[in-house]
Amino acid sequence: MKARAIHLVVNGEQASGEVMPRMLLSDFIRDDLALTGTHVGCEQGACGACTVLLNGRAVRSCLTFAVQADGASITTIEGIAGPDGELHPVQQALRDRHGLQCGFCTPGVVVTACALLRDDPQPTTQAIREGLSGNLCRCTGYQSIIEAIEQAAAVGASTSADGTVA
Amino acid sequence: MKPSPFDYHAPTQLSEAIGLLSELGDEAKLLSGGQSLVPLMNMRLARPEHVVDLNRVTGLSDLSVDQDRVRVGAMVRHRQLERSAELVAANPLVAAAASLIAHFQIRERGTIGGSLAHADPSAELPLVACLLDADIEAQGPSGVRRLTGSEFFTSVFTTQLDESEVLTGVAFRHLDPAEGWAFEEVARRHGDFAIVATAATTLFGEDGRYAAAGLAIAGVGAVPQRLDAISLVGELPSDRLWRSVAAEASSRISPQGDIHATAEDRHDLARTLIIRSLSRATQRAKGGDPR
Amino acid sequence: MTTTTDPVIQLEVGSGGGLIGASTPRKEDQRLLTGHGQFTDDLHVRGMLHAAFVRSPHAHARILGIDASEARALPGVVAVVTGEDLAKLTSPMVVSQEGAHPMVMETLPTAKVRFNGDPVACVIAVDRYVAEDAAELVDVDYEMLEPVLEMHAATDPGSPLVDEGLPSNLHTRQTKSYGDIETAFANADRVIETSFSSQRLTHVPIEGRGVLAIWDKGRAELSFHSGQQTAHVTRTLLAKRLGLSENQVRVISPDIGGAFGLKIPLFREELTVAAMAMTLDRPIKWAEDRAENLMASNHARDDSVSIQAAVAADGTILGIKAELWADYGAYAFYPPSYMIDVVGWLLLGAYKIENYEYTINVAITNKCPAGTLRAPMAIVTWATEGTVERIADELGLDAVAVRRRNMIRLEDQPYRSAPGYLYEALTLRESFDEALDRFDLEQFRRSQASARGEGRLLGVGLATVLEPTTYGSAWYKASGDEGSGHEAATVKVEPTGAINVMVGIIPSGQGYETTIAQVVAEALGSTTDNVAVRLGDTHIVPYGMGSRGSRGAAAGNGVAYLAALTARNKVLRIASHRLGVPIDSLTIVDGSIFVIDEAESRLSLADVAWMCYMDPTSLPATEAPGLEVHQTYDPPELTFSNASHVCVVEVFRDTGQVEILDYHVVEDAGTLINPMIVDGQIRGGVVMGIGQALYEESIYDDAGNNVTSSFVDYLIPTADCVPNIRIHHVETPNPNTPRGIKGMSEGPVQGGIASVALAVSDALKGLGVTVDQLPLHPSRILGYLRAAGAQDD
Repeated sequence: MKARAIHLVVNGEQASGEVMPRMLLSDFIRDDLALTGTHVGCEQGACGACTVLLNGRAVRSCLTFAVQADGASITTIEGIAGPDGELHPVQQALRDRHGLQCGFCTPGVVVTACALLRDDPQPTTQAIREGLSGNLCRCTGYQSIIEAIEQAAAVGASTSADGTVA
Repeated sequence: MKPSPFDYHAPTQLSEAIGLLSELGDEAKLLSGGQSLVPLMNMRLARPEHVVDLNRVTGLSDLSVDQDRVRVGAMVRHRQLERSAELVAANPLVAAAASLIAHFQIRERGTIGGSLAHADPSAELPLVACLLDADIEAQGPSGVRRLTGSEFFTSVFTTQLDESEVLTGVAFRHLDPAEGWAFEEVARRHGDFAIVATAATTLFGEDGRYAAAGLAIAGVGAVPQRLDAISLVGELPSDRLWRSVAAEASSRISPQGDIHATAEDRHDLARTLIIRSLSRATQRAKGGDPR
Repeated sequence: MTTTTDPVIQLEVGSGGGLIGASTPRKEDQRLLTGHGQFTDDLHVRGMLHAAFVRSPHAHARILGIDASEARALPGVVAVVTGEDLAKLTSPMVVSQEGAHPMVMETLPTAKVRFNGDPVACVIAVDRYVAEDAAELVDVDYEMLEPVLEMHAATDPGSPLVDEGLPSNLHTRQTKSYGDIETAFANADRVIETSFSSQRLTHVPIEGRGVLAIWDKGRAELSFHSGQQTAHVTRTLLAKRLGLSENQVRVISPDIGGAFGLKIPLFREELTVAAMAMTLDRPIKWAEDRAENLMASNHARDDSVSIQAAVAADGTILGIKAELWADYGAYAFYPPSYMIDVVGWLLLGAYKIENYEYTINVAITNKCPAGTLRAPMAIVTWATEGTVERIADELGLDAVAVRRRNMIRLEDQPYRSAPGYLYEALTLRESFDEALDRFDLEQFRRSQASARGEGRLLGVGLATVLEPTTYGSAWYKASGDEGSGHEAATVKVEPTGAINVMVGIIPSGQGYETTIAQVVAEALGSTTDNVAVRLGDTHIVPYGMGSRGSRGAAAGNGVAYLAALTARNKVLRIASHRLGVPIDSLTIVDGSIFVIDEAESRLSLADVAWMCYMDPTSLPATEAPGLEVHQTYDPPELTFSNASHVCVVEVFRDTGQVEILDYHVVEDAGTLINPMIVDGQIRGGVVMGIGQALYEESIYDDAGNNVTSSFVDYLIPTADCVPNIRIHHVETPNPNTPRGIKGMSEGPVQGGIASVALAVSDALKGLGVTVDQLPLHPSRILGYLRAAGAQDD
């Protein structure tokens, strides 16, 4: 049960660490890399707050061990906006449509929406609702989030900003 | 909720993985997508001393469609099944079932091998494997073993796999272009575990009567069940027929209740879903459903 | 610093910059959208340790002994403490109220555990992983006791006592009577009986509870970083229970990932962590996990209402008698009458009913303690509106007509309700009419009938909501609850003209950083960008009562507005002196001071501010240096908002599922500060109501084990199972609050529960079933349909 060295790319930059096998990827990102925008809401894969892109795919970082990410490329919420803080169209739309209140679920929503729009740039409302059904939000009632993703799709979020993300 | 300590092994060859299992025995657990295992570990309901990760094992992630079979490597993710045009063309039932598993982020990680080996009694892919009597391949220290989907699941979370065997892949038959199919389930919310799920296939003869049909149900017993004894063959499709099939099926199951549905509810839902899936499969067979 | 408690000064409407009423995008969003929010668990300090709790696997058991030796021996474990240890470091919480015996809650229990999940020991270790390893090694020797699990049976004389310091599990029983109830019932043509029961729920903020406690040994000062809705009250309690002076404790509430009434009390886990941080002289963090949150934070809503309505044949309601029950769980976090009594005094809802009597019963059981969940009285609207529907049914009258016959109109106000509350500027009847203008009920009845002909079950639910929003100090005094309803703000115009505002309310998603900037900028003639709002730090913010109820708008934003007006007046007095023009000829727009009707500004807000700090000798002799205002504001005893909800559902016979097809809200929250934010509160509140009506339930098995301790079993609404909600605002200002602000945020939950439940009831009408228990999940609906012999086949 000894620690292992891992090396990965996080938000485009090299990162490494020494982790015990049982350390969850979510804890590694938050505690070891100090990227605390990835939130932990249930540790059973149900709430979606910890969603990150692992080699481009949206996954629950609470259901992956950090050791499994050795050699992987990860994008967290901190890697979505432009370097000067310029909001990604998904983020901008969430702001415009009041798609967040407390903001705790928001990083997972943003990452999920970016992945959804990449796979399906012009989703139907029903597809958005189903795609978002694994992201729990207790504040908004979801309508404003759905509308925001529709807005982001309308402005072509899937092809804008950082090409590795959207 | 943090897992208890374990040793981690990340073999790159199948033989290595099998060797580890043989060596470590019941202290080891295979990790594939982890979408069922890791929550159990986080809750400390599973506490393996050794985790053997299949994610770096080569040769388990291919999805291929040949003349008469769809071959799916154990580490193929549900999302790949859902989005593979080739699979949708050859066997849309498998793709449709995969698309109903949990949420898409879970499907990005979850694998077909993991789902079959986990053997949740209400899970989608085991139901389809059972209905289509899929050809399941397992490899252990003494070589390759082929198991059939209709017999693979032996009890809740239990299969015919030995401790030292790795499920390496599964093959499904093609659906005939004229064959209708349906996968229906009822869950509390989108992505929740199904309370009851049914899957059906139908094929018609030139006389407009059923020439072949299959029906299976999950969520009403320890394992998915094929309802082979209930025959549609030779009958003309009708709402009345489906209802009588549903009533007959309902009399053959003995579901258990839980906080989401009583045993009685499950009988009701079984009837509803059987009627729905037969109707839908019939409609697809008749209408040449666009895949 | 100027301190005033001026009566309400109203800035002449129209003289502001139009900032009040604008859907300004939120200032807090940039950080939250980019992952730069700072929630409790995001905080990290050098040397920080982590806590985990050992929790009772039993509902009711005596603690015979605790052996922590194996846990202490585990590498990485720093300490393991039990109730006995903490009793030496802290004092217990005592909740007392007239009409009930005081109830004592130790920091951790020493004698017995009272519910599944009750904390019995705390492990402090180098990380949470090791802390959980050690928690498993703590060996608690329990003697099992019979669990008390059903609230009515709990109060039987023979029942085991949950709290052996109390004479009975019936914590309180109180009756209140208004008007002449006997005569009302004697004169009634009919007495109609109804009952309504809510399931046990929990709050489920996506961020659980948590704390980072840091003891500064040099200063002998405790910093308590924790998402707290009422940070100052928490500070007062912490100081008392830790034996510190209140000036040795600093509570800092960082970003809060949802609260919903959960994050108000000083929880035992939080106090334990604070005490251990002091004892060990090490920073300690505890972040609640989801299982703890679902089992052992607070539960809510385990209550029921039984009503007898005395009615005349024409549908006039002559009097109401109600019997209310609430299961309070194992410990008292709140005064016994508080939550259920609100149901009592609100039960008459939108209706003019003079004769009223209600009795509350509060039981103690071996379940998770009850707390205040957004709209603690949430059952009330369903009970009132459901009773009106039943009256109409039984009398063969139209339910809309029965409502209109009994409803309070704007012209009836000011109106004092039977329990004594003053209704002003409420459009109960008018908003109801507006809702029916927007939703064609007759058309719906035709579609409903034709759908019935095809075997489909459609239903509509109408619910008129009376929402108490802002409780003044007079309410606290009258109710006997400890506390006050006033609020405090400090507005500082800094030397360069930048504005800092500190208010005692604490946000968990309500957008106060934006709305307070709006009201302050409006009052001071500045811009929202120029106003920074600082909340939740007791070292910076004046003592306020925090965020609970729906007090944020009228009390919190209201006091900031008043403080900013006081600052404005000072600025204008100085400008008037400086420019030699009358004060009433001046105005401030975007930070520039103008003589009204002049095109060019002669002075800026920044010029005046600079003078106040850097050149005070230039000020009029009557003005003190500086430009800082501290102000308090005590709102009226109680303010209300109102709304009408219309919900259309389809109930599926073959699966028992309910789909919401249409949803309308007409809301009158008085003057709106930021309509976009109000819409967000409405939608979120309605969806919480939908969760209660259709999905959520905390369930215990027969042994008292919580069987809903994960998100597989405790189901909150997801994106695919909620409707779009159409909103229309009516804005009738309250005459007694700053700018006519009323506030809102709990009413949508009340309306959501009521309109969904009544819509389901309407869909099942004629099948001989009575919808009187939530949630209306598929299993319950299938049960109804089986009972009615009305299934698909």
